[in-house]
Amino acid sequence: MDPVISDRNTRWRTYLVALAITGLIFATAFYASNYFNQRRVEDIRTAQDNISTDILNIETQFDLLQEHSCSDVAENAILPSSLTSLGSQLSYMEAQGGNSAEVTRLKGLYSLMEIKDYLLMKQIAQNCNLKPVVILYFYSNKGDCTDCQKQGYVLTALAEKYPQLRIYSFDYNLNVSALQTLISIDNVEDNLPALLINGKAYYGLQMIPDIERILPQLASMKTASSTATSTND
Amino acid sequence: MAAVTYALLFIALYFEVFLLVSFLERRLAKRDAKVMLRDFPKAAIVVPCYNEEKGISSTLTSLLALDYPKDKFEILVINDGSTDKTLEIARSFEADPRVRIFSKENGGKHTAMNLALTHTDAELIGCLDADSIVETHALMHVAAVFKDPRVAAVTPGIHAKETNNLLQHMQKVEYRLSIFNRFMLAALGSAFITPGPFSIFRASVIRELGGWKHGHSTEDMEMALRMQEHGFLIANCPAATVFTSTPPTFAKLFKQRVRWTYGFLRNAVDYRHMMGSHRYGNLGLFILPTAMLSIFTAIYFFVRIIMEFAQQFLDEYTRISVTNSLPMPNFDIFYFNTSAMWVLVWLAVALILVLISAGSLIGTGSRKLPAGTPLFILFYCFLVPLWLATAVFRATFKLGVRWR
Repeated sequence: MDPVISDRNTRWRTYLVALAITGLIFATAFYASNYFNQRRVEDIRTAQDNISTDILNIETQFDLLQEHSCSDVAENAILPSSLTSLGSQLSYMEAQGGNSAEVTRLKGLYSLMEIKDYLLMKQIAQNCNLKPVVILYFYSNKGDCTDCQKQGYVLTALAEKYPQLRIYSFDYNLNVSALQTLISIDNVEDNLPALLINGKAYYGLQMIPDIERILPQLASMKTASSTATSTND
Repeated sequence: MAAVTYALLFIALYFEVFLLVSFLERRLAKRDAKVMLRDFPKAAIVVPCYNEEKGISSTLTSLLALDYPKDKFEILVINDGSTDKTLEIARSFEADPRVRIFSKENGGKHTAMNLALTHTDAELIGCLDADSIVETHALMHVAAVFKDPRVAAVTPGIHAKETNNLLQHMQKVEYRLSIFNRFMLAALGSAFITPGPFSIFRASVIRELGGWKHGHSTEDMEMALRMQEHGFLIANCPAATVFTSTPPTFAKLFKQRVRWTYGFLRNAVDYRHMMGSHRYGNLGLFILPTAMLSIFTAIYFFVRIIMEFAQQFLDEYTRISVTNSLPMPNFDIFYFNTSAMWVLVWLAVALILVLISAGSLIGTGSRKLPAGTPLFILFYCFLVPLWLATAVFRATFKLGVRWR
């Protein structure tokens, strides 16, 4: 390329053009980020709608069939993994920080669905003589619960190990009246993390062996690896 | 914290965009007519050397092969107190009448250059470090630029000589980026370094300015700043191709870059009156302050990324220690990070690729990116802050730096 010789005069037009382009790049980045976040919120909303429909479907089915057969209802019960996956997506969105009001609203709705599913399962279990293994987990992400992250990891690992285990996680501080009613009915104290198992509250970090001790029926459950093996067979 | 990060990202992006816009404006503007030389100015090329037995021979061979009238060109080898076979090897070239050799006690590169200045009557004086070689037509290209009487110095297009390992491949990419930066800084009248490999000066200007100074072990930077301070023009001639040795190990690279950054910081403090001053045009208003800020920006982002990695590592460690099992990898597109910060970082990386390509175009005539570009993008940004931080520390406490 040819040599370049130039004086150092300031060309303000170049500065302004560069400023406009940089501003445009920033605006595009924020727009794109917002667009993708909106898409995620839409995905969550769709998933919630589907789960909500599923709950209503099972509820109706249960009302229709309860005097005849429990097997159809039990077979069609909502998979815990759908709720777990939705919970993970909401946690991720919450950690990202964008569109927080909408995410909090969706989280409230998610908690309601969890409670609804929990109550329905209790009802089905009672009428159909089933014994589902259920854990209610109360946490806080306000920075006042040092072991909540670890407890979350433990429960995720436990859910992966025992796919039939039903774990419902609740943000203790979430301003949802049904959730607060659940907390007061079960007398869950503000000493987190807290696990509610068979109506009894356990406070502080509970490791996998602790939970397996509390829930001996886990031993009779199929583990993920044994399920995989039987599927392969 | 987020506001500071976005502000620094904005400035970094603005700088890249500004250089790119200036480059495109220049490409669209009317080109200067090529100058053909009839009267060749006499040129002296100084080869200052201290224990350069490995490279001196190839350096002198390449200089003697320069396409330039023999009676208008001399080579001054200044043996700066070498203790190896440098002098002996240099003497083997003495048979050529263009080569003159001087020996002195070790005193640093600036003293070698000043000694050469007293022993030549050439109109142009330049330097070629003994670890560099020059392309045949380089001096002819540079001498033509001096037909413009405003020009006091001309910098070349510097390329990495060897690519024997991954580190040198990454440096090759960095040199391409430097070719772009040097070209654009000259286009903005804001060059603040006249690099050791084959920068050529108008000897009268050097004498007028009082010769070379120590300049905190970066006499090439100090001289450029002094020229700018006195209103002289520094041009760039990328067609004048020079190949310089790049450090083959991280330890050597680290030492070299600490010296460069230290020199920049200390010289920037010495010439602080130029910072933000409209009198010095683009250089004072934008280039010097941004160059200074870029050092702290690189360190800031490095610390942030390391903290983020450390946090993730800690989280994973906690997860593994409480569950006794490895986490399942999650490839769900839902979790792909699309925060504005990351979108901007990706855009900044894309812009750097464009600048490297522009550097290749200026230096080689081809837009093709060097093979080491992916490595450079992925890893080099983690190496740079190490020497930047060390240089900032040493400059703050005035600890000095050594050449070797």
